[in-house]
Amino acid sequence: MKATETVEMQGHIVDSLTLAKVLDIVVGAGAEYTLDEVELGRTSSDPSRGRRSITADDDVALATLLDQIHLHGANRVSAGDAVLAVSEKDGVLPAGFYSTTNLPTSVRLAGRWRPVERPEMDCAVVVDDSGTARTVPMHRVRSGDRVVTGSDGIRVEMPVRAARGHAFEFMTSEVSSEKPQALLVAEVCRRAAENREAGGRLLAVCGPAVVHTGAGPDLARLVRNGWVDVLFAGNGFATHDIESNVMGTSLGVSLGEGTAAEGGHANHLRVINEVRRHGSIAGAVRAGFLGGGVLYECVRRDVPFVLAGSIRDDGPLPDVVTDVVAAADAMRDQLEGVGVALMLASTLHGIATGNLLPAGVQTFCVDINQAVAIKLSDRGTHQALGIVTDVGLFLRQMADRLCRDA
Amino acid sequence: MHDEDGLSWGRRYLMCPPSHFGVLYEINPWMDATTVVDADSARQQWEHLASTLRVAGAEVVLMEPADGLPDLVFTANAGLVNGNQFIPSRFRHPERQGETDVDVQWFSEQGFTVEWLPDGVSNEGAGDALPFGDVLVSGYHFRSDAASHAYVSRLTGAAVRSVELIDPRLYHLDLTFCPLDSRRAMVAPLGWDRYGLAVLENLVPEPLFLEDEEALEFCGNSVVVGSVVVMPACPPRVGRQLERWGFDVVVCPVDQFLKAGGGCRCLTLALDVHLGLPSAESTVT
Repeated sequence: MKATETVEMQGHIVDSLTLAKVLDIVVGAGAEYTLDEVELGRTSSDPSRGRRSITADDDVALATLLDQIHLHGANRVSAGDAVLAVSEKDGVLPAGFYSTTNLPTSVRLAGRWRPVERPEMDCAVVVDDSGTARTVPMHRVRSGDRVVTGSDGIRVEMPVRAARGHAFEFMTSEVSSEKPQALLVAEVCRRAAENREAGGRLLAVCGPAVVHTGAGPDLARLVRNGWVDVLFAGNGFATHDIESNVMGTSLGVSLGEGTAAEGGHANHLRVINEVRRHGSIAGAVRAGFLGGGVLYECVRRDVPFVLAGSIRDDGPLPDVVTDVVAAADAMRDQLEGVGVALMLASTLHGIATGNLLPAGVQTFCVDINQAVAIKLSDRGTHQALGIVTDVGLFLRQMADRLCRDA
Repeated sequence: MHDEDGLSWGRRYLMCPPSHFGVLYEINPWMDATTVVDADSARQQWEHLASTLRVAGAEVVLMEPADGLPDLVFTANAGLVNGNQFIPSRFRHPERQGETDVDVQWFSEQGFTVEWLPDGVSNEGAGDALPFGDVLVSGYHFRSDAASHAYVSRLTGAAVRSVELIDPRLYHLDLTFCPLDSRRAMVAPLGWDRYGLAVLENLVPEPLFLEDEEALEFCGNSVVVGSVVVMPACPPRVGRQLERWGFDVVVCPVDQFLKAGGGCRCLTLALDVHLGLPSAESTVT
């Protein structure tokens, strides 16, 4: 992890060439600097003052470099330690708690910068006895936890707008419908492959439209071929996925012919009822009731999924977590190692997931409605790249590119 | 001919008799604690230096030596003098830190106003700071911290030019740099890095660059009294140049003190330095 420290020099540092020397040393060491504040003396007799931030590849490289430039009068600007306060009640943070962003964050404890584990927005930072700092959502804080307060001794790494590669380079906005579809698909596939190569996991967040648009089999192929490592959805997506595989309809509409099946309006309820009879989706697969589809592939491949409930749910399916706080926690627990997130025609689950993701996760929001991607970005998931297209088309092209089987 | 516009300082020196001088510890590459100093010879050399300075026209004032402080004899390191202001050194090595009380007592008794550098920075006084023209050329690395220069500037009002010293054998600025008059100075490139030499280029119109061997004979550690240059050693090349410029060279052997890494300049502290606020017509940065 890159490490940054602020240093200050003062005196006749311009005419003594010591400022130039220090900057030469910084650059020579492969580190970077930004000049934060410079007050130049009016004449060569007047002292100058310069404050700059120096960024090196890691803490060790930075410490070595700081030692080197300290010799020439560049002193670390002593940032104070983070101020901790003890939580007095379960689920209640001390007043003045520091509210997190989803960006990589460090806190200074006993003079050392420590990275905050699992960056997540709108949380608090709790420091344990060993000095490990991690984000904790409000409801998970426990009486006696030491919580970071105020803004001293906290450092947030601003995102580096890395070159997005050729396919995304021409995007001036983060959301656009005017892009060559095939190019975007190819780029997402490339990112997914790179992520897998690097040992990262891929998260798919699915809305019901994935099934309505007929893309269920394509997503199932991606799961079957090992491209999806974790899946988040709601009762709707799961129900339609199962209904379409058991009865050939989605909300009673035949996926093959596009016509309403007789009595089809109750199809999804009958399916939910049968899965409830089997106790769980996995139980329904074992009993042979469910023999295909996205969740079927997830069960067969042990791909974890979290189904979060809502107040409008029919049934719901027995796997649905109806306590929303518990559902968010279950989702949190599945985020370890996720490097790419695909938000597939999902507004509510997409935004809920965006709230949990660190800013470093490459996030692609595929929706026919560009308002979804904009909303995601407005809620703080700035890294989300909107791809405005039909999710059915997108998943078919993606599966065709990534999967060998038909 | 020697520039009529000679140094504005260097007519009054503080010295300390070498009654307790010896090489009792090793804090620079010249020191070897097994070396025996010939006390009689040291006394004679020191007396010779003092009388030479007097003959050259300088006033020499003395401070009492102190038992257990062998390097007190090197008064150049007592601190910085600026008019009536005395800024005591913050010695890098604990071996010399005991000198500070003695120095401060002497300067207080003489009516100087004592002002302190902050704790935690090292600075070895005139050993690492010599005025040239409008500025105070200040060395850092082995004995003084670069960060101390800003404090020196704040306390004295002097414009500082910081120079990194790079050869541990030339651990103080006064082993590498000797102002001669308003245009000339002896400089030992062996001891300076390229940034320092670049600063020098803009500062000293006529430098006398010392060869490495000349620098290691402590040629740079000389005392200038008007047109007289009192040197621990003077190779013919250096002597010829100084004489061409109109200086009179007097060699005062101080080899007993070289055993501790100090020459003529180290044994003296100029008391008539006025750094003051620099002149208004300084060039714009």
